[in-house]
Amino acid sequence: MLNVSRSPLKSQLRLKQLFLRLLCASILIIFLLPLLVSRSTVTHANVQSARVQPEDSTENYPSQRNANYSIDVELDPENRTLTGREVLTWRNISSISTTELQFHLYYNAWKNSRSTWLQENNIAPRRGRDGLASRPSSDWGWIDVTAVRFLGEGDAPTIDLTADIAHISPDDGNPNDETVLRVPLPFAVDPGSTVNVEIEWTSRIPRTFARTGTVGDYFFIAQWFPKIGVLEESGWNCHQFHAITEFFSDYGVYDVRITAPTDWVVGATGLEREKSKNVNGTTTHHYYQEDVHDFAWTTSPDFIERRSRFEHPSLPDVDIRLLLQPEHAGQAERHFQATQDTLRYYGEWFGAYPYSHVTVVDPAWQSGSGGMEYPTFFTAGTRWLAPKTSADDGPEAVTIHEAGHQFWYGVIGNNEFEHAWLDEGLNTFATGRVVDLTFSPHYLRTRFFGGLIPWTFKDLSWSREIYRLPSYRRNALTDPPVTPSYLYWPSSGRSNIYDKPALWLFTLERYLGWDVLQKGMADFYKRWQYDHPKPDDFFSAINKASDENLQWFFDQIHNTSVVFDYELQQLTSRKIVNRGFFEDSGENSFIDGEPEDLFTTTVVIRRRGEGVFPVKIVTTFTDGHEERELWDGHDRWTSFTYKRNAKALDASVDPERVLLLDINYTNNSRTLTPKAAEAARKWSLKWLVWLQDLLLTYGFFV
Amino acid sequence: MTLVGVYVITLALAIPATLSLQDTIATHLGSSMAGHQMAEGVSLSWWEEFRASTDGLERTFTYSIIGFAAILRNISSFLDRTPPPQILVPLIICYLTVWSFLIGGIFDRLARGKHIGSTAFFSACGTHFFRFCRLAIIVGTTYWLLLSVVHPWLFETQYEKWIHDFTVERNVFSVRLALYALFAILLGAVNLIFDYAKIRVVVEDRHSAIGALLAAVRFLRRNPWPTIGLYLLNVSLYLLILVVYAFAAPSVDTPVLLALIIGQTYIVVRLFAKLIFYSSQISYFQSQLAHANYVANPMPVWPESPTAEAIANSKS
Repeated sequence: MLNVSRSPLKSQLRLKQLFLRLLCASILIIFLLPLLVSRSTVTHANVQSARVQPEDSTENYPSQRNANYSIDVELDPENRTLTGREVLTWRNISSISTTELQFHLYYNAWKNSRSTWLQENNIAPRRGRDGLASRPSSDWGWIDVTAVRFLGEGDAPTIDLTADIAHISPDDGNPNDETVLRVPLPFAVDPGSTVNVEIEWTSRIPRTFARTGTVGDYFFIAQWFPKIGVLEESGWNCHQFHAITEFFSDYGVYDVRITAPTDWVVGATGLEREKSKNVNGTTTHHYYQEDVHDFAWTTSPDFIERRSRFEHPSLPDVDIRLLLQPEHAGQAERHFQATQDTLRYYGEWFGAYPYSHVTVVDPAWQSGSGGMEYPTFFTAGTRWLAPKTSADDGPEAVTIHEAGHQFWYGVIGNNEFEHAWLDEGLNTFATGRVVDLTFSPHYLRTRFFGGLIPWTFKDLSWSREIYRLPSYRRNALTDPPVTPSYLYWPSSGRSNIYDKPALWLFTLERYLGWDVLQKGMADFYKRWQYDHPKPDDFFSAINKASDENLQWFFDQIHNTSVVFDYELQQLTSRKIVNRGFFEDSGENSFIDGEPEDLFTTTVVIRRRGEGVFPVKIVTTFTDGHEERELWDGHDRWTSFTYKRNAKALDASVDPERVLLLDINYTNNSRTLTPKAAEAARKWSLKWLVWLQDLLLTYGFFV
Repeated sequence: MTLVGVYVITLALAIPATLSLQDTIATHLGSSMAGHQMAEGVSLSWWEEFRASTDGLERTFTYSIIGFAAILRNISSFLDRTPPPQILVPLIICYLTVWSFLIGGIFDRLARGKHIGSTAFFSACGTHFFRFCRLAIIVGTTYWLLLSVVHPWLFETQYEKWIHDFTVERNVFSVRLALYALFAILLGAVNLIFDYAKIRVVVEDRHSAIGALLAAVRFLRRNPWPTIGLYLLNVSLYLLILVVYAFAAPSVDTPVLLALIIGQTYIVVRLFAKLIFYSSQISYFQSQLAHANYVANPMPVWPESPTAEAIANSKS
């Protein structure tokens, strides 16, 4: 039975209370809800606002400028440490989104012996790099990232990402290698979006294992900051640091403030904008450079500074700053000349050097930092006793090479982890041309007494054609160059990176002509400036310039490790004697003829290697006549026969040495008047004196 | 004749290896046009291919055999303790053994100061050879200690420690030069003692190697400056020969016969300097020790004197 005694007024009151409660709740919800979601909404808005900051990256800028760094770093020379902070402004210029960033931490290659770099080095150390793992504790270095923060725009909060960072080993899965750092992001960075990331770190500068480090009061600081990898269509290209390879990164702006002891000379990538003394006995040097993909610097109280200027009627002027070791003060002009020669010839051949300045560093003895390139900044290297007769003993060859890298590596930003030859090979080839033009004759040299006393062989001069052959010959069957460089066998990889490409470029120069090759290289330089070309891009440029399909050649030299070797296997030249049954007189009668005044000359050429290349064969006769043939070089052998009234003198296959990759040139020729015995006698008698002197030297003991 | 003899020995021991190398070079060149290039000048291209394709003895056929570089290479290798090519080690041992045999006869010849004939020469060689072998055990051990212990300690351990933080090559060079000088002094000191020990074995007909060494030390202690001065004078002569050869050394283009003459003249002069080294030390030794009758030197015979005879007659 319903209780109908409830008053209608109470019911109405209850309804009103319910309505009011609902109303209040609704109001609360309406007001609280925005607050509840405000955090994520703000974040989302930040990302949105970050996302909506796509820039027109090519607007008036030579490069994409998608990896821009503002770095503050302080050097403590006493403890050999760096304390740094950077703000990276990174824009995703790929077509894929990413929820993480990957950074190179190169210094950790020398943190301990379990790093990939050291393990690879121990398998097959390069000359001068054996025994590295047994260095004393004071020699080792590392980099420790202490904080990573995503910086929001405007009032948006900063997100601390430090707790989530982790080292990864994308190449070999080595759990002990700490040269790649992954920074997961709580959001995706879409194509065209930009993020600002702040990173703090400390690092210990090693005694140089390779390229960067310190000795005494000399500091050469390279690969020293957390450097972002390259996001490609297939994902992050951020390799671990390998013993055989160099580096790869995107272009951007570097705005760097370096604090070092006052009165220490500082040199770096870029130009110094200002210098300010601090109260604690240090000075902060502000360097700035646009459109580069790396930043290195050096400091020492010992540098002496010299300046010069490159001027050319059709190329831009370049200011050259030289930081020289005091004991090499007399070699300043040699450094300048070599740099100017490079800027001139590379500029004329390939394209202008695009920056207004370059700094050349003469590294300290034992620093291990010589012969290396960085944007607008490179290290040369010379000796206290450096005769002017050899480009290798003095600063010339290395300065030309490293200055040349400002073009091939600096402006053309190829991936040195995977296609190291694309800068080193091209540059080695071009260096050879410049050395030939500016330093001739280029005498051989050696060093005695612990490597300290030079000796020049004034009877022996190198030509660029054979300069790289001995090393290539030793390693001709090593990895095919198409193998990513970081996977090369460590001790022979250099041949694939330097020697082989230089040799096949010399070959192409002779095969196509310098004009054609130069055009191809210049087109490649122009098209791929501030970009990341791959080998096929270079091959396409050459094909286009030559108007030929040279893929048959590129397939062999790049995709395989075939060896080229053509041999002049046989040369005979005999008087013709007709003997046997002939029907000349209509009857089949036996003729026992006398030797005629005609000679039958037979030349047999054999292809001993697996590589195929068209070659010329030249046969010379005693009357001075020459027969020239062109063979496609494809079959295993071919022969040519001549009937002439002169005997053959000699024959050669590829007499002009177009195919510089031919590993055995001795077998390319034969003569019917050999002088082997005479040559052997001459040289063995020279050797006899050496042997006798050796015996007398050991005769000291009796 | 002594000089001729030691030169023939040096040449004879070196010839077989030279002929072997000559044969290999000729085979490698074959009928190639590289033969013309190497006969008329030089072909680096061929040279590098030759070295790459060969082993053993042929690996010693480097650019450093040309001209004065050959001499520098040997001295540098010696001072830097670079071991000789393994294939040549037996030849070096043979050479040292032959010299050890001949030294007795050479010293005897020089001490006597007159021609002694081949029979007496080789008799002296045989007489002293085994004494020198006993001496060689002690001296060889000393040299071994110097080269295997002292040299690495100086040039590897200490050198690396001292130059560890050097940033100036010139300073590194100075340190190394000082170490070379120190090591040369140590080598020279041992060599000096050994030389006089050999002299005392021959001149005093000593049988005991230890006795000869101790006697040599005593002699040097009593005559330090003259012996050291003489040694340094002889070293200077050797250096002078090197300097002259540095200018005269044949180049690649020197005609074969002329190059051979110059090279062999250098070898002869070096051997001559070595003999002068010995003879000067022997002469000095003999000039100092007048209190004993020496086996080597003949007794002086005074000429007839009327006054002496008269005195003798008056006494009788």
